[in-house]
Amino acid sequence: MSKIQKLPDLNNPILRAKLEKGMGHNYYGEPAWPNDLLYIFPVCILGTIALCVGLAVLDPTPIGEPADPFATPLEILPEWFLYPVFQILRVVPNKLLGIALMGSIPLGLMLVPFIENVNKFQNPFRRPLATAVFLFGTLFTLYLGYGATLPIDKSLTLGLF
Amino acid sequence: MKKLYSLVLAVLMIWGVAQPVHAYPYYAQEAYKSPREATGRIVCANCHLANKPIKLELPQAVKPDTVFEAVVKLPYDHSKQQVLADGSKGGLNVGAVVVLPEGFKIAPEDRIPPELQEKVKDIYYQPYSETQENIVLVGPISGDDYPEIIFPVLAPDPSKDKNVHFLKYPVYAGGNRGRGQIYPTGEKSNNVQFTAPAGGMITKIEEIPANEDEGFYGGHAVTIKTESGETVTENIPAGPALLVHVGDIVKAGQPLTENPNVGGFGQAEGHVVLQDPQRIQWLLAFFAAVIVTQILLVLKKKQYEKVQAAEMNF
Repeated sequence: MSKIQKLPDLNNPILRAKLEKGMGHNYYGEPAWPNDLLYIFPVCILGTIALCVGLAVLDPTPIGEPADPFATPLEILPEWFLYPVFQILRVVPNKLLGIALMGSIPLGLMLVPFIENVNKFQNPFRRPLATAVFLFGTLFTLYLGYGATLPIDKSLTLGLF
Repeated sequence: MKKLYSLVLAVLMIWGVAQPVHAYPYYAQEAYKSPREATGRIVCANCHLANKPIKLELPQAVKPDTVFEAVVKLPYDHSKQQVLADGSKGGLNVGAVVVLPEGFKIAPEDRIPPELQEKVKDIYYQPYSETQENIVLVGPISGDDYPEIIFPVLAPDPSKDKNVHFLKYPVYAGGNRGRGQIYPTGEKSNNVQFTAPAGGMITKIEEIPANEDEGFYGGHAVTIKTESGETVTENIPAGPALLVHVGDIVKAGQPLTENPNVGGFGQAEGHVVLQDPQRIQWLLAFFAAVIVTQILLVLKKKQYEKVQAAEMNF
């Protein structure tokens, strides 16, 4: 907590109107200029640069092997962010079904804002259905992504059963 | 004169070790220019069909012209025994291959520190071929004595070797315990499960006499009469125990023997950074400069806050 705190001027009608809408938080508290922008921002920026430089020096990116289009590597895996979709394609027996399931991902995501549209609350705790769908989707995505890194016979049970 | 004599002796010894016909890496050396195929598979897996995981341990980074350890760990159940070529039981042998980056090689003996020397003194490190010092073979050696195989590696110096640079390099390792399942000719060894070549009834199980001069240690010939009346004979060498009896009905592919194999081959991949010590020094200097700058910025802010508090204009 900074020592310098500007109090909200509640006689200011503009601020009151903004506060009413849940906005106007930049009208009070610690002043952005120069306390934050001039002094603390460079601290964070420099720290980030130092971390990047340190990583680049201590753990440089390896140069991969030359690609050979005629030799499929023993293990084929896409980039990590594609693991869950890769897993769907891998375990589904039918290619058309795989494409349909892949297509259903963006469609399902588009549907999320509309499932609980009648609910007027923004708070996730007051939107149980949307939150449940989000949590289930997240966990299921993690499950699929982890399964993609395992051999196919273990990928659905994660080798636990 | 004495020196020459010992040199000749050393050459003879190395010759003797480098030419063991029954050291199975020799099969790979004979058939493949590099032990690592373009797919990433290490060629030992072509004969050692059973699969068992191994671990490769490497330092994260090494300085140029220093000796470091690359450790291949070969975990297996040491209470188990495998069948040997003559059908009797015995302990498992282990072996390993390490594909180091170009320029890296096994450290000469005078460069290995004493405590590392102690751990590796009995192991003979064989380069894969005369031109590939960076690919190193060990084995077969007793698995009970060496549950892990340590490779003392000398890192190259980019200031002397212009083909080497300060980079992160991949290291590939393959490790095996136990005998292989097939020979390079495609023949099955006796360390494998034999299955029925065709469905039918087993009419005869004959003992085949051993012929040790030809390296054959006996076994059984199982004759199967198929439904269409043909007879098929499967020769099973000494080693795997038979599971079937005369008169049994078997399906094609049904095991005739138990699976005697207890070992397996695995491969692993690791990375090692060839690090320039000067870069580390510059990095530390840069970190120090960054920290000083950050502290000064925070102090300046504290100072300015006092001005703000005094002037009350914020």
